[in-house]
Amino acid sequence: MQLLLTRIKANRLRTACRYSTQLLKDTYEAINAHNPRLNALPHIHPPSSIQEANGPLSGWSFAAKSNIAAPPLPTTCGSHTLASYTSPFVATAVSMLEQAGARMIGTSNMDEFGMGSLSQTSVHGPAHNLHPEHSSALHSPGGSSGGSAAAVAARMCRVALGSDTGGSVRLPASWCGVCGFKPSYGRVSRYGLASYASSLDSVGILARSTRDIRDTFNIVSAPDRRDMTCMSKSLRTRIHALSASREWISRDTECASEPLRGVRIGVPSEFWVTELSPSAVDAWKQGAAKLSSLGCDIIPVSLPHIPHTLPAYYTLALAEASSNLARFDGIRFGTRHMPTLSTRANASLKYAQTRSMGFGDEVKRRILLGTFVMSARAHEHYYLPSQRIRRLVQREFNRIFALPNVLCTTNTKADARNVDKVDAILFPTATDTAPVQGTSDNPVTAYVNDVMTVSANMAGIPAISVPFGLHNGMPLGLQIAAQYGDDDIVLRIAHYLEPQAA
Amino acid sequence: MLSVLSGSAVLLPGFGVYSMEHNVVASFVFTRNSGLGGGTLGYRFKATIGLELHVQLLAAQKLFSAASAKWNEPPNTNVNVADAGFPGALPQLNPECVQLAARAILALNGQIQQRSAFDRKHYFYADQPLGYQITQQHHPIGRGGYVDLGLLDGLEYVKRIGIHQLQLEQDTAKSIHGVYPGHVLVDLNRAGVALIEIVSKPDVETADEAVFYVRKMQSLLRHIGVSSCNMEEGSLRCDVNVSVYRDGEDRLSGTRCELKNLNSLKVIRGAVNAEISRQIDVVRRGDNIEQETRGYDAQSNTTFVTRTKEAVPDYRYMPEPDVPEIHINDSWIARLRKMLPETPEVVMARMMPQYGLTQEDIETMLGEPGCTAFFEQAVVGRDPKRVLSWITSEVFGQLAYRSQRLADSSITVPQFTQIIDALSSDAITSAQAKQLLIAFMDGEQRTVDELIAAHRWEVISDDGKLRVISKQLLDAHPKEVARYLKGQTRRLNFFVGKLMQATNGQAKPQNASEIMKELLEARR
Repeated sequence: MQLLLTRIKANRLRTACRYSTQLLKDTYEAINAHNPRLNALPHIHPPSSIQEANGPLSGWSFAAKSNIAAPPLPTTCGSHTLASYTSPFVATAVSMLEQAGARMIGTSNMDEFGMGSLSQTSVHGPAHNLHPEHSSALHSPGGSSGGSAAAVAARMCRVALGSDTGGSVRLPASWCGVCGFKPSYGRVSRYGLASYASSLDSVGILARSTRDIRDTFNIVSAPDRRDMTCMSKSLRTRIHALSASREWISRDTECASEPLRGVRIGVPSEFWVTELSPSAVDAWKQGAAKLSSLGCDIIPVSLPHIPHTLPAYYTLALAEASSNLARFDGIRFGTRHMPTLSTRANASLKYAQTRSMGFGDEVKRRILLGTFVMSARAHEHYYLPSQRIRRLVQREFNRIFALPNVLCTTNTKADARNVDKVDAILFPTATDTAPVQGTSDNPVTAYVNDVMTVSANMAGIPAISVPFGLHNGMPLGLQIAAQYGDDDIVLRIAHYLEPQAA
Repeated sequence: MLSVLSGSAVLLPGFGVYSMEHNVVASFVFTRNSGLGGGTLGYRFKATIGLELHVQLLAAQKLFSAASAKWNEPPNTNVNVADAGFPGALPQLNPECVQLAARAILALNGQIQQRSAFDRKHYFYADQPLGYQITQQHHPIGRGGYVDLGLLDGLEYVKRIGIHQLQLEQDTAKSIHGVYPGHVLVDLNRAGVALIEIVSKPDVETADEAVFYVRKMQSLLRHIGVSSCNMEEGSLRCDVNVSVYRDGEDRLSGTRCELKNLNSLKVIRGAVNAEISRQIDVVRRGDNIEQETRGYDAQSNTTFVTRTKEAVPDYRYMPEPDVPEIHINDSWIARLRKMLPETPEVVMARMMPQYGLTQEDIETMLGEPGCTAFFEQAVVGRDPKRVLSWITSEVFGQLAYRSQRLADSSITVPQFTQIIDALSSDAITSAQAKQLLIAFMDGEQRTVDELIAAHRWEVISDDGKLRVISKQLLDAHPKEVARYLKGQTRRLNFFVGKLMQATNGQAKPQNASEIMKELLEARR
């Protein structure tokens, strides 16, 4: 019966009219025009294979990051070790978009296994930034979802899926001048996303407008029993009831001149780091002024543990990475390198060669560091304190947000009494604009870039980067973050912050 | 009696008093080393033993995947993407496994933890597709509990063995060495199958206690349907920690060695005894025991080093980020407790007097999950001995032949009792009864009466008819008659056989034998 249905479905697709819309034409024209320079989409579906389908996202094109399973295109994770690997199953987020009528165009370039902020360590070669326009210098699109951001910016697809472990969606969005959304942890199923650091990984969305992000998010944000960390239906219902109980926030329709009246925006002073460039500070100030003009109250807030999140993040992310990447041994899938004679005798060394040859330097560096911090001697000094810092950061966010954390409360209503509490926070996505690709090779400098973004992953809260102006022809983004589960307010504030709404 | 066996009492009236004195192993050591003049050294040694049992759960699917957990299938056929560690595949906890583990905890009088969580235990090996095993190192699902050993278990005194913890974990794949030189073959069917690891407290003091503990655990876990606990098939695996100390010293003062891969009760007894005497020898020589993992060679009855302490890998335990904590509330536990059958001790204490059965009879039934319930339904209004013997010889024989479990067999209690009743009322012979049993176990749906009619079976109870046939047989075999009359009385069986043959098995053997004997004797 199932087979019969599938066959009927396939026939209907075959007889359906070809995807001959202007949109498809534009998409492939953009790919032909920009992809050779940007190297954003290493694997592309041929136009002839795209069939139109009905659904709320009918006529939409999308790209998926190369670490999200989307057969028949390979899922390379940007790595030599998976260079010819095609997943036998489809990621939940991809199949949901397909079911909603959107059509996948290709897979997007990335740093190997998501480990980087520049999209320069891929087996497919580095990806590049569309900006500055009309320039010969090739800038980094940011990373690790740089291919997704560059493809969206160059209109090679309408939206793109990325993954965000420590800012990998938001940083490239900021540097490419598009919107990049990291939902609350567990909003979107991770099934089919190759894990980097499971407790921090989120499937994120990149698009040119917050409206497109919202429409895409409404499709992919759903329970999935194949991912036990994906929010259940009942948890979603509880969060919705909680956030809807905030009576002090005006509805969209109530006040046209001040659509965000009553919304309290926190400005956390700890993000005012020494690395912050004048242009980023400038954008931050202007962003606050703009939100104020839309009716928001701007309130300085303090998150004292923010300076500690970066080392704690790198400890935890790398510990989990060393664990998650242990499976790439070339035995069941992926590229295999024959063991050398000296390693053949020892069973556990039989695939040492595969792992030594298959992973790039940055991945090996992170696996080694992650292995070290979990070792018996270092566990107590690195891993456990980092877990404590993570807990403290989560508590700090709970302290500043008016909406209670649904995981820590039995309340069914938001607390309106404390005027010191805020609904969301505003801060820059990156310390500066994108550098020229290939000019940064000090890994520590690259890690510092993540200081603005990792705290959202550590706390599991939703955060979005919205483009906010150009500085010397290069885009820069501002970030909105809110309480765990409060994805709606993030998207709503971002909508008014983005350029076209002005 | 009942309260002593299942409760907390340490006194077994009339059978002696619980005492540590039973557990002195030194005498056994001295007899083995009698030439060394152990008496001059004057020390009495005792052993401290703890056991880790790895028990495969009888769940249809694996702990974290929907792949079948069936044993002995073609290699790499019961594998899904999560078991094989494909990128993007995630573990999905199977609630049936949690329930089975919880059943075991209740049956062992332990506490089901309201919150338990999984950890990753890392090591590289070809049979570990993920590079780590998902286990419960820090927050196991069960803590505490105990098993009481006593006379019925083979021990001459009463002893309580405490349970330290019970944890859920994944089994590994199987690596096969030596089929292709230089290659290791990997079968992922077992990868991710649910295990519970039951860690005892170091309460065990002799090899006998260790063996009886394992045997008791087997019968208990089979009885409640948690595991088949078959050591040959590997659904029960046993590691034993052994240390020795001088009598009077702290019983945990010795350095312990772990004996791994003990795959039968006999091997457990041999290995523990061999290890105790080895350690005593080392201590008496004045050397130190090294903490290490050892194997056992039954041929030479010695243990040997398999891994030194330095070679133990750093497992780098980490909370499993893909699986949330398990939260269990009291009402769930209460419901589970209601579904739990009586413990084997309670069943034993109740059924022995109630049906006049022996301990062995009941033990045999306890080895087959669901069997005591089957017996108790079938026995109502019938002869317990007959019902028992038909279950344990005929039904079990068929189950073994089909490698089937009673719970999976198609035969029902009413079908079984119809056979017994037809047999008791002489409506069928026992040969026919066996034929019916096979039919029912093959899935036959008709009733016994219908089947008798369909087969035109009818026991010849008319003695006159039998006599006629018998006479004809005697006349046809004069030589055999002569032999019988000369004193070869076993020739009688020859004639009974002939008679059964002549009547297509429809004569009652008892009748046939009586008539034949009478006619033969008449010819003297």
